Amino acid sequence: MTAPSAGDESISRRSFLGGATTAGAVALGGLKLSQAAAESPPGSDNKALPPIWFEGPDPGNPKIGLRWAFSARVFFADRVMINTMDSPAGRGYTSVGGGDIWGPRLQGRVLPHSGADYYKTTFTTYYMLQASDGALIFIHNRGTMRRFAAPYERGKPLEPPPPPPAKQDSVWTRFRATPVFTAPLGPHDWMNHTVFVANSMRQANPDHTVFNYYEVL
Amino acid sequence: MREFVVPQTDTRILGKIELEYAFKLTAHYDPPQESHTPRGTFRYQDIVGGELSGARVTATVYPDSGGQYDTVRADRVRDVDAHFMCKADNGEWLYMEHVGYRRTDGYYRAIAYIETSLKGAYEWMNNTTFVVTAKESADQREVVFYYYAAN
Repeated sequence: MTAPSAGDESISRRSFLGGATTAGAVALGGLKLSQAAAESPPGSDNKALPPIWFEGPDPGNPKIGLRWAFSARVFFADRVMINTMDSPAGRGYTSVGGGDIWGPRLQGRVLPHSGADYYKTTFTTYYMLQASDGALIFIHNRGTMRRFAAPYERGKPLEPPPPPPAKQDSVWTRFRATPVFTAPLGPHDWMNHTVFVANSMRQANPDHTVFNYYEVL
Repeated sequence: MREFVVPQTDTRILGKIELEYAFKLTAHYDPPQESHTPRGTFRYQDIVGGELSGARVTATVYPDSGGQYDTVRADRVRDVDAHFMCKADNGEWLYMEHVGYRRTDGYYRAIAYIETSLKGAYEWMNNTTFVVTAKESADQREVVFYYYAAN
């Protein structure tokens, strides 16, 4: 992880309008990609990265680790709302146009027009991936977009932004996604019994999000 | 099927993600009951109690508030689907949902989704993604779950 500019901070520094409050395509201002464009940073190709291990305070806790499995760049097409998100009946529809997938454990594409995010307060996406060998893989992805008063620091609780809601561009936003995959038997069967967690970056012009999927070891 | 041309963008970068230990839950179950269904073997286990403890929360499982509703797959991995309620020591309620896998070696990997009062002491749990590891006892009556916040 030698690309600190790619962390949550850089997401949050951008002026950000949550999908929960907008129906149209979101225009994000001032997208600076120059730092990210530095030569081939980790995670930009199919080269595996070492796992990261985490522990609890009790030495008896089982070890738990994360290892980058693959990333998907998902481009969105339509953004539609049924009611508004401040209503319990609020439902969003953001359709998937297509995209691509790279990384050590899966390469391929997002099957064009194969589904959407049908979100309520948390996102709930259903669409299809197609591996480079042609296999069709179903993704059901649940996840959150949260806004906080300050960036994350290890050991410090994440506090929600103070009411009344701060301006969207003055709060720290993070995505966490938890996909469940259904893959055919064969080389992708590992996805049927692996738990994943993802972080992601939402970007505009064109409207897309990069999801980085980590397998939980 | 309509085709799609992937646009040129310059966003192939990883963000930061870390797991931070949050709390553990020792859950007690009745013996599992299995039945054969068109979807495979359905395995129901009533949650009869449990103790949840961590630096920021102490709670108990509300007895008989739900349980685990797993599907035993052809490869013997269990698809875990658990729903139950906990009551914190300050009286607040927590809705707990687990989605994941119980592997054939007895270990779990799962995601926990927790919902609680937006105005309460545990608001930080709402929409926090918890990654869970767990080990089942030999008699399958006790499971110790360790929850890590995906920060």
